[in-house]
Amino acid sequence: MASLGANTIAILIALGSFPVSLALTRFFMYWNLKHGIIGIDIHKLNRPKIPEMVGVAVPTTIVLFAAIYAMVGGSSSIPLLAYCLVVGLAALVGAVDDRLRLRGIFKPLLTLLCGLPVLILGLAFRGQVYTSTLHVPLFGGYHLPVIYPLTVLVAVSVTSNTVNMLDPLNGSMAGGISIVAGGLLIGSLLIGTGSMSIFLYASLMFSLLGFLYYNRFPARAFAGNVGQLSIGASIGALAILGKTEIASIVAIFPNIQNSFFFLSRIRRFTEHRELTSKPTKLLPDGKLADSEDPRAPLTLVRTLLIGRPATENEIVSTIWMLFLTSTSLAVITLLLTGV
Amino acid sequence: MNTRAVGYELVVFVTQWGLMLVGFGILTKLIAPLNLVNPSSSLGLYFDAAAKALIALILSVTWLFVWDRQVRIYFRRRGK
Repeated sequence: MASLGANTIAILIALGSFPVSLALTRFFMYWNLKHGIIGIDIHKLNRPKIPEMVGVAVPTTIVLFAAIYAMVGGSSSIPLLAYCLVVGLAALVGAVDDRLRLRGIFKPLLTLLCGLPVLILGLAFRGQVYTSTLHVPLFGGYHLPVIYPLTVLVAVSVTSNTVNMLDPLNGSMAGGISIVAGGLLIGSLLIGTGSMSIFLYASLMFSLLGFLYYNRFPARAFAGNVGQLSIGASIGALAILGKTEIASIVAIFPNIQNSFFFLSRIRRFTEHRELTSKPTKLLPDGKLADSEDPRAPLTLVRTLLIGRPATENEIVSTIWMLFLTSTSLAVITLLLTGV
Repeated sequence: MNTRAVGYELVVFVTQWGLMLVGFGILTKLIAPLNLVNPSSSLGLYFDAAAKALIALILSVTWLFVWDRQVRIYFRRRGK
């Protein structure tokens, strides 16, 4: 009963993330537009100018509410501090990339460093941030005292970059990761993990939904690298803090497939903007189609368009449906793990 | 929208999920309990961890290879 109360408080506090994220998104939309921070929506025939880097509203909301929860919720502040530092550092890397256009290789390297707060605080406050035991569905678990701390860095880098790579269409990333966070929240509630991870998943989901209101088709705000990298890093850090490592991998299957096929074709870390062979093309009727360029990467969107063009809205709905499937598998994974 | 492609993606996800559970099962039940390098020797613990990490890496690459083949076989045949 006490646990139910703590979870209810956690979710109620997290609920406040939605209006705050909504308000911050609106604020950054106008501020960024006014200061010329804009991008072109290349998947529309009229190529509208959309305010960029508005996704900064999400990490700002997450950090703000983590601080509130640390004060009100009575939870240990060390893991919350680690989480906030990871999200903040990833947002910083994203912001620098948005403004300075870093080369493709720098993002995975810099995001490797973003996991350091979890690693350092985990070593300094043993057992408070993470435990080195990996819980495996059906088969129990095993202790990884040497390998686990190193995988913390890789986990944050991989999740932040893979989320960064699957945001080509309006609302695809924000909607997809909302589904992931929502599913892992339900799974965490079902298996009864601590209220802190329940709060963080709920906070992430509600913050994303606030941003999604303006990012959905037709988008009035773009996340930018600042939003994408911090949201991805948040998923990675939460996988460690919430002991949902394997379930989190399953939940982001659409991201993994997209990144893997992109990298296996291009064979180097590069930016989408630097690609000479595009995976999709815009038709005169406004639909998107497979570019049929054999040199272009086989991205997730391209696989859905092979042979049949579709509207942007249809593709995004399908991507969300794929996330719903992978997240359902993730929830089953959590139930089988039963931490 | 290519609905067959969507259905195929779902099959790929479920297959990869099943393979992933099997892979983690192999690591947990077969690989983790092994003493590949004498842990009492100097740096033995670290070499043992490195050897097991290498096995995990090989399993991960195999898993990605199966994913790659599944997607390529279908989409290359349909699209080109």
